[in-house]
Amino acid sequence: MKFKGGYNILLEGRPAAEVKRLIEPKELYIPLSSRRFSFSEVLVEQGQHVEDGDVLAKDPDNYGVPLLAARGGIVNVDKADGHIVLTDIFPPKGKTYVPEKDLPHIVKEMGTAGMKRHKLLSLGAWQFFSDAYTGRLPDPLGKPQAIIASTVSLEPFVARGDAQLKNRLLQFTRGLEHLQSFLEYQPIYLVMPDISSSFASNVRKHIRGYAWAKLIEIPLKYPYDNFNLLARRLGLKKDAGPIWCIRTEGLLAIDRVLTVSKPCLVRIISIGGPGVVSPVHLKAMTGYPVQSIIDKYASSPGVRIINGGILDGQAVSPDVLGVCTECRGLTVLPEHHEREFLGFVRPGWDRHSYSECFLSSLRKSFRERLDTAVRGELRPCISCNFCEEVCPAGIMPHLIHKYLYRDLIEEVDHARVDLCVECGLCSYVCPSKIELRSQFIKAKQLIEEEKEEIRLEKMREEEMREQAHSKQESPK
Amino acid sequence: MKIFEKVRPAFEEGGKLSVFMPVYEAMENFFFAPSATAPAAPFVRDPLDVKRLMTMVVVALVPSLFAAFYFFGWRLVPMIIVSYAAGGVVEVIFAIVRKEKIAEGFLVTGMLFPLILPPGLPLWMVAVGVAFGVSVGKELFGGTGRNIFNPAIVGRCFLALAYPGPMSGNWITAGTSPFGRMLQYVTPSNVDAVSAATPLVLAKQGNLVDLSHMLIGNVSGSLGETSAVAIIIGGVFLLFTRVANWRTVVSILGSAAVMSGILHHADPVRFAPALWHLCAGGLLFGAFFMATDPVTSPISNAGKWICGIFIGIVTILIRNFTGYVEGVMFAILLGNIVAPILDEIVIKIRLRKLACEG
Repeated sequence: MKFKGGYNILLEGRPAAEVKRLIEPKELYIPLSSRRFSFSEVLVEQGQHVEDGDVLAKDPDNYGVPLLAARGGIVNVDKADGHIVLTDIFPPKGKTYVPEKDLPHIVKEMGTAGMKRHKLLSLGAWQFFSDAYTGRLPDPLGKPQAIIASTVSLEPFVARGDAQLKNRLLQFTRGLEHLQSFLEYQPIYLVMPDISSSFASNVRKHIRGYAWAKLIEIPLKYPYDNFNLLARRLGLKKDAGPIWCIRTEGLLAIDRVLTVSKPCLVRIISIGGPGVVSPVHLKAMTGYPVQSIIDKYASSPGVRIINGGILDGQAVSPDVLGVCTECRGLTVLPEHHEREFLGFVRPGWDRHSYSECFLSSLRKSFRERLDTAVRGELRPCISCNFCEEVCPAGIMPHLIHKYLYRDLIEEVDHARVDLCVECGLCSYVCPSKIELRSQFIKAKQLIEEEKEEIRLEKMREEEMREQAHSKQESPK
Repeated sequence: MKIFEKVRPAFEEGGKLSVFMPVYEAMENFFFAPSATAPAAPFVRDPLDVKRLMTMVVVALVPSLFAAFYFFGWRLVPMIIVSYAAGGVVEVIFAIVRKEKIAEGFLVTGMLFPLILPPGLPLWMVAVGVAFGVSVGKELFGGTGRNIFNPAIVGRCFLALAYPGPMSGNWITAGTSPFGRMLQYVTPSNVDAVSAATPLVLAKQGNLVDLSHMLIGNVSGSLGETSAVAIIIGGVFLLFTRVANWRTVVSILGSAAVMSGILHHADPVRFAPALWHLCAGGLLFGAFFMATDPVTSPISNAGKWICGIFIGIVTILIRNFTGYVEGVMFAILLGNIVAPILDEIVIKIRLRKLACEG
């Protein structure tokens, strides 16, 4: 496949492939919101005794995605704002899923496939799916036009596919087969870094005879693993139905849910970044106290903790106490303190830059330790064109920025800000230190809202017209 | 650092010198890297900032500065000081009035400007020229990043039109002793040093200066433009750092070479050969340092190619068919005018293509 733009930032703190187990927590702080979900429908009460796998809350706006208790314990709703706290944790019983009373009638209505979908949703595997174009949770009962499954995660410092797949090839391919059972003739695109590797040939051996899976190779350059980009490059149309996208952890979750009928409670997250002593992958559960992870792994106090990767993650605010359900990795970044004397005239032997303005370009590639510094002052755009060069979506960030500066929302829409995949590379390379990514996200929201308003207005008008029409007809 | 902390209150709002906040801020951030941290993702940023970018241009000018110093003596030093001082005052006044920050673009303009002037030009003209260039060429459009014309060229153009005499009569023959003129302070009053003929002027009269002299630079001409070797060293550095875009340079030099090659082929007696034209006058300097200014050249790559070809051809046309001996200055100004139009066209085509995408 052909891609435009993209850039790999070489940073210290890439997590090793090894997966470590965390010590059992004493308390779990389960956040009631994550990037896509907000679990507003709380199903447990203060002091209630729950077991592992019990549903604590649901998100009514996202097809009732459940928030599962990773361990048994006693519910405390008031202890921390926006969290369900579980105290007096006891070890997991590992009970298997027992169908609810109303299930037979689900089976009757929707067949075994419907049962499978129900299981995916209620046992916590459905949350790993996302739609390629909207990024939202797809409808579990919907029919996708295609599925993209990816073992690649290129954003610096999120959990990597190869670490999760260690000794799990069987589960992986079984997950793929389960996925296939949801489809009729639609293809599954399996995205891999190297389709001639031994792993890929193993996968191929396992799934031999299945015409539905297509192996696709992508270069290891950020952000080519982005599902939006992949879908576009695969020629999948936006209005031809949802495109289900899933990563390694999702496929493993599907296997767990559908093969052994156990809820997904533990996930592999990464702890990485320049502020971590020995970056690794961790087996963590939803609600594991962030602070205890940070205390163990961060090299010094005064760090910024980021949920997700360094380029499109979200800063974890101090009132979020536990690992959220969608966490793919924690990134620890030292806060910027020291101000360098005459920094801009230094040779820059140890400084990696997209441009070649530092002597490091004469050196072999190396990993750099960075902090949260913007490393420059805000300036007007000088039209250096770097942002367009790195943009993987093929839009012109500098142009959109100039339109936004003049408040020309319609032009911004024409310049296709909606194609932006929010990879953050434009903000990274900008020498004028313009917050391009945040500006575009805001602009996208604004445009979407306005379009929605226009749509509603039209509907209202039509209704009015119809009413007027019926009034005219009624006297007859 | 302590000094800055001590004087800071005076500049903050309500302080005695609060009007000069831009100056203070510029000085502080000049010496110490700014303390700002990334407010939103991406949480790390590339170390390149505008200051570094502009510093690279100044670094690339060092070989030309040495050449100018060697061939034309240390009158260069006061010219640079005057240029920075006069332009800096204009810049600061605009920053204070607008209550904006002082931008770094001036670091480059102040250094470029003396290098494109005749070595014997009176200092007050340097001051007037740079003040005009910075104020009209840049600040009136809104400052660095929003200007249409290259401020240094606007300043030179103004001087060439307002004071044609001094601008075409203050050439100095390059030093020929082993030390060049490094030990001399040459002014127009050192009568023996003043000559009126640059290679391009001589060419109009029918005698071509030897190519090797123009490569090294011991010919008459503007301070920075005579030594082709020095310019190429600096220019290649600029291309390597990607501050200057290679497309602009290649298209200008390529089209100028092709154009003058065709002319030379048609009438070898009347028109000089291509390589000679490349090394003569300010073509190299303009192509590497002036036309590559990211702000005033087109953004799109296609635009850069077209604009470069346009500048190259126009330069050769002006040199050979008009009363002016040197055409780079006007060609680049014309290129600056064409740039936004080219961008508009290229962007329109690209937007049409984008509209078809998913």
